[in-house]
Amino acid sequence: MTALAMQPWGNYAVALAASVECLRVSPWTRRATTPETLRLGVEASPESACLPFKACTGHFIKAAMEGVEYGVMVNSRGTCRLRYYREAHQKILDERGWKLRIFGLGYDGIKPPLIRHFDPDPIPFLQCCARAQQKTLAVDALEREVWRVRAIEANRGDATRAMEACLADLDRARTVREIRACARTFAPRFAAVPTDSRRVPLRVGLVGEATLLRDRFLNHNLEEQLGGLGVEVSNFFLLGDEMRNIFRIGFFSRNSRWTLRRIARPYLDALVGGHALESVAHTLRCAREGFDGIVHVAPIGCMPEVSVRPILQRIARDTGMPTLELSFDEHTSSVGLTTRLEAFTDVLRQRRERRA
Amino acid sequence: MWNIGTRWLRGRTGGAAGFAASSQEPIGLPLALYAYLHPGLWQAFFEGLGCPVVLSGSTDAAMLERVGLVSETEHCLPAKLLDAHMDALIGRVGRVFVPRILSLKRGYIACPKFGALPDAARARFGDRLAVLSVELDENREPLRTSLVRFARALGASGPAARTASERALAAWADACADDEKETAGAGRRYLLAGHPYLVNEPWFSEPVVRGLTRLGARVERMRFDRAPAPDGPLRWDTSAIMRDTLADLDARRYAGVIQLSSFGCGCDSIAERHFREAARERGLPYMLLRLDEHAGEAGMRTRLEAFVDTIGSRLP
Ligand code: SF4
Repeated sequence: MTALAMQPWGNYAVALAASVECLRVSPWTRRATTPETLRLGVEASPESACLPFKACTGHFIKAAMEGVEYGVMVNSRGTCRLRYYREAHQKILDERGWKLRIFGLGYDGIKPPLIRHFDPDPIPFLQCCARAQQKTLAVDALEREVWRVRAIEANRGDATRAMEACLADLDRARTVREIRACARTFAPRFAAVPTDSRRVPLRVGLVGEATLLRDRFLNHNLEEQLGGLGVEVSNFFLLGDEMRNIFRIGFFSRNSRWTLRRIARPYLDALVGGHALESVAHTLRCAREGFDGIVHVAPIGCMPEVSVRPILQRIARDTGMPTLELSFDEHTSSVGLTTRLEAFTDVLRQRRERRA
Repeated sequence: MWNIGTRWLRGRTGGAAGFAASSQEPIGLPLALYAYLHPGLWQAFFEGLGCPVVLSGSTDAAMLERVGLVSETEHCLPAKLLDAHMDALIGRVGRVFVPRILSLKRGYIACPKFGALPDAARARFGDRLAVLSVELDENREPLRTSLVRFARALGASGPAARTASERALAAWADACADDEKETAGAGRRYLLAGHPYLVNEPWFSEPVVRGLTRLGARVERMRFDRAPAPDGPLRWDTSAIMRDTLADLDARRYAGVIQLSSFGCGCDSIAERHFREAARERGLPYMLLRLDEHAGEAGMRTRLEAFVDTIGSRLP
């Protein structure tokens, strides 16, 4: 069967895999970049490209090495460099003689080119979309459980193990009904994880560039590291919300662009591009909701995210909520990062004690 | 696609936000980044409204030192310089002007950094400087309309707003015409390519021009008063113009292309390949000079010499 490579999107890989079934292709994806794919990507990409670009190049090269014929990636119509990436990846693959054709997920007419190419039957296609959407929502819910439990688990790693088990089941669920039933088991399963009820976790929001927020390898396992330090994270990239925004459903919902824009307006009155608006709005909202701190992640040189950093610093000053800015490239050291995270959580703890 | 739902909203709230003070209070204009996109325009505009203008001064070694103290480290150099120039205005004026630029050419978009400029300026300097701003978006309305709207919002009467805008546009056209005079003349020359705030910023471009002149070569700066060709590979306005200019170069008139690019420029990291290819297709030698705060003139001179030498030896 023809194979289709998809970008690593964290736990959403399960949902993505479900989304292409109806195209009669077998999905090829990973949950995170691997050291090998990153190495391949760094080698093949221009030096000045950003980390997500390099990782994605490597991912597609690896797919091509394994004989995958097609790939699909998000290519925004926005202001940032992403809009050129599909073409740039394709060029790199072509120059190196790999026969992998990358489709963009954007529209250029009524149908995305991917759909035009594989031309699925409409009914199975819609069913498959429904399944993928249910799985996406299920993963959203799962993520929230893990963030909460990881910060208070009695035995290190229990929450992650529970998450893996849930994901495996979710992957097997075939129909919308099965998926819903599976999602309902998440809460009890996490409730069964032994926790230490004396611990009061710190609450930290993760905002910034989407690839880095999702890719555990590229962000050096940020969520788990913070969880281990007793932090309940809220990672503000949730694919379910993102989809809703793309298709503009739920104009007034909590995370719609419209709502976020309204929240951000005192500090930022433009969309900027990428997820810069989201970074600002979520930071403000976290401050309002009494979060202990914010971690802003961005690839080094990311245009939209870098341009809003002064704004994030200002919010930190105005609200007194500390912000940690993390920039990543292929040379980022895990050790340095861990030290910074520890220092940051120490600051947050002291601050909390002072205020108590 | 993202923008559809919010466009109507921007139409209402966007534009000249953040003005309040009387139009007679002096306004500071930082001479960096956006200033080079419309040379001469803003000064004439504010003066036309009867508002005294205070310029930040030229970029020099002291200004570059300031960069390290006040700006975001991961920015490209021109964006950092804008911060430094604003910093230099503190204490001299109570308010500065920083536009929000979303698009300079219809059908094209500006580098994303221009979208957050006034907000970032307020975040950084808001305690010490009021920031006046106007949204420029050619995809929504032509520059002339934006100017009139801005002048009206600043309290000018309709006719006064129109006069000031016309004067501003005329001053801009004059500044461009001056550039043209400078580059007129016969003989093959080198094209100094790059974003306007590099090519026309003396601190960056003069050393190159000096170096080339010393070698007996003639230099021409890239110009931006053209529209990009439709359907080009790039959607960023200045990048697209740069590529199109290179793609249209006449190899009989030009000896080579020297491209200035800032360290940390996201647009160039994508566009460079297109620039290089365009120059190659025209059969023109191409050299890239990457600028950062610490670029030394000596190293650059050596590279220029080598470049001109190789080309010189290939001239018929
Ligand atoms: S185009 Fe490049 S140099 Fe110009 S502002 Fe954008 S990133 Fe900076």
